[in-house]
Amino acid sequence: MKKALAVVLAVMMLLGCVSIASAEDAKIKLSVWSFTNELQGMIEKYYAPNHPEIEFDFQIYPTDGSAYTTKVDTTLGANATSDEAPDIFTLEAAFVKHYVESDFTGDLKDIGFTDEELSVAFPVMAQIGQNSAGVQKGLSWQSTPGVLMYRADLAEKYLGVTTPEEFQAKVDDWDAFLDTARELKEASEGACKIVVGSGDIWNAYQYQRAEGWIVDGKLNIDDELLDFEELCKVLEQEDLTEKGGAWSEIWFAGMRGADEVLCYFLPTWGLHYTLKPHCAEGVTDGMSDEEMAKISEENNGTYGLWRLTDGPVAYSWGGTWMGINAAKAAEADDAKKAAMHDLIYFFTLNDDFLTQYAADSGDFVGSAKAVETILANGGTPNPFLGGQDHYAIFSKAAALANGSLMSEYDDTINDLWNKFVTLPYTQDGADLDECLANFKNEVAAAITTITVE
Amino acid sequence: MQAQSAVKTKHKSVSYSKYGYFFIAPFFIIFLIFQLYPIIFTFRTSVTDTVGWGMLAKNNMSVLDPWWSNFSKLFDPANELYGLFWGSLWNTIVIWFFNFVPQLGLALILASWFTDSRLRLKGQGFYKVTIFMPNIITAATIGMLFMSFFTYPRAPVNTFLQTSGLANMPINFFRSTEWSRGLISFIQWWMWCGNTMIIMIAGISGINPSLFEAALVDGCSSRQTFWKITLPLIKPILVYNLTTSLVGGLTMFDIPQIMTQGDPNNTTNTVARFIYTQGFTGSRNFNNASAASVVLFGIIIIGSLLIRFVLSDREPKAGKALRKGAIK
Repeated sequence: MKKALAVVLAVMMLLGCVSIASAEDAKIKLSVWSFTNELQGMIEKYYAPNHPEIEFDFQIYPTDGSAYTTKVDTTLGANATSDEAPDIFTLEAAFVKHYVESDFTGDLKDIGFTDEELSVAFPVMAQIGQNSAGVQKGLSWQSTPGVLMYRADLAEKYLGVTTPEEFQAKVDDWDAFLDTARELKEASEGACKIVVGSGDIWNAYQYQRAEGWIVDGKLNIDDELLDFEELCKVLEQEDLTEKGGAWSEIWFAGMRGADEVLCYFLPTWGLHYTLKPHCAEGVTDGMSDEEMAKISEENNGTYGLWRLTDGPVAYSWGGTWMGINAAKAAEADDAKKAAMHDLIYFFTLNDDFLTQYAADSGDFVGSAKAVETILANGGTPNPFLGGQDHYAIFSKAAALANGSLMSEYDDTINDLWNKFVTLPYTQDGADLDECLANFKNEVAAAITTITVE
Repeated sequence: MQAQSAVKTKHKSVSYSKYGYFFIAPFFIIFLIFQLYPIIFTFRTSVTDTVGWGMLAKNNMSVLDPWWSNFSKLFDPANELYGLFWGSLWNTIVIWFFNFVPQLGLALILASWFTDSRLRLKGQGFYKVTIFMPNIITAATIGMLFMSFFTYPRAPVNTFLQTSGLANMPINFFRSTEWSRGLISFIQWWMWCGNTMIIMIAGISGINPSLFEAALVDGCSSRQTFWKITLPLIKPILVYNLTTSLVGGLTMFDIPQIMTQGDPNNTTNTVARFIYTQGFTGSRNFNNASAASVVLFGIIIIGSLLIRFVLSDREPKAGKALRKGAIK
């Protein structure tokens, strides 16, 4: 009797083990790679609690240098279907094109995305997430449209401008921008300049181009780029900027209230993570708006003095895309595909989540529909901007910016253009044709996979 | 008898030399994995068509036909790499020269002062430590430090020049070839002078003091002692120092990368930076980067052999024959 009982108990224990094991098996395993802990934090806060059936495995490889891309390239190159390889991985603006143009990332439609779902994303962010054949391979939960941020008090003092609309008329295109730069220098007797340096303009001006750096596998120098050089040269020669670089001491001094810089070209993240935490001496990241306003008042800061306006051109600067590992997606069963689809959809296109997330974080989200909802719900009047609604301005830029310009090697080519054309031509007085020849030689040497003529 | 011999053989077989091998094993294991293997791998990559991480990871590169195609790019004036590679080599040599000559000169003078029994300088320890100090700080830190000092248009140096009336306009140091190269040479000099000095002091201390005493008794001046006794006797140390400095100088990377990124117009682009930009920017041309590394390797070997050949003591043939005769 005892023996029988022991056998029964043993069998039950075994069964118990098996049933636990099979429950474990039933869990869908998703390996997510990223270069910051941002997505992990978002998943753990908003997604994982409602999805116990998914077992997440997060891997974070920081982007210092090219550590993240090297890790992704070598892992996916060696064995893309191994357990070590990610199912979903995040892509930054600097290298998103490298991956969407490669075979490493899969078509999002393969895991169940439909055209209808994709249509609500801002076109600029969606376009950057496509390869040159138009296949959607990445989606961004933020969009990062760029605008012109200016000091309302200085604009009124020197230019007699009181509203963002009036100011927009003064910077509506680059000719107007240049005229305003001259007017400002004259009115302030050289004390205040329109921007810190010509490098500040580049991120916006490159969106003026009709075509990107690489067209049909060939290096393409758009005519607008030559106009950019002429603009920078005039700014340099007539001493219309502070001649400083972005992220330099002089750049931050202008934000803190040195009263010598009128405008900054910055995108969405630049407002919350760059301009605002530097709006006065003593202000640090993570302070509440009330604290910042108080310190800013005590230290002659710039809290509340900034306004946003469209500027000469709508542009985009930054963003984080989510992409899928093509090899693993092809092997996945329907349940896993559905889980991958659901996760990416939730963070990039889901209206409810994105409106919630925008309210929690102040980030500007990637879905045009969600932004519409937020604006319809009363928008986001921002005390830092004297009550102006940043969502309304950003959404205009996000709708207009041209996402088809970016190419796989933009980082390298932009850097070479600055080093071998912009700096020598505008600052050292070098001959433009010589600069262009040097630049072409540099590009041909650095990128052997495209033709340079 | 038998027992005794057994004890003897047992005693013989106790050898401690294997422990020595255990102790040096970590070095050789690390050397094989992290140095020898990458060197061999570089040689292999230099004859293949490897471009991009994907190709490296998938291991689907193939040997070029002819195998020296990557090398011929570096030697073909029509190729876009030709000017960049040889230009960067020239930059490297210029920067190294203006760092090494003053470095060796000053290190020798300081070393002979510190070891001169007639001078008996006070507070030597303090001076030695102060001069050696920059060598302890990471090159990256010093690069950042100088970059922030010399930034245009507003930084300590420019502010000082303007407030003291030495300059009316801020100077854009990093847009000037002379300033950029000069600053890099200066940093290298400043960092390595102390190190060279310590080596020279060690070399001079190794000379038999009775030689100096004899010179003193014979009425040698300090100058004569330096040129006729010190310098010839520390020649092996000089050869060592020149060789290590040449290797270090030709592979210079960190200061130019942090401070100037090769600007202006590639005039501070060193060979190591050229290799880095080939391998780790743009389309990741590992093939060209490896070929350039192999050529640099060759140049360093030739340079080191030249130094050895020109400077080291070779006994004249007649003297050798004479000695042989004497032994017989």
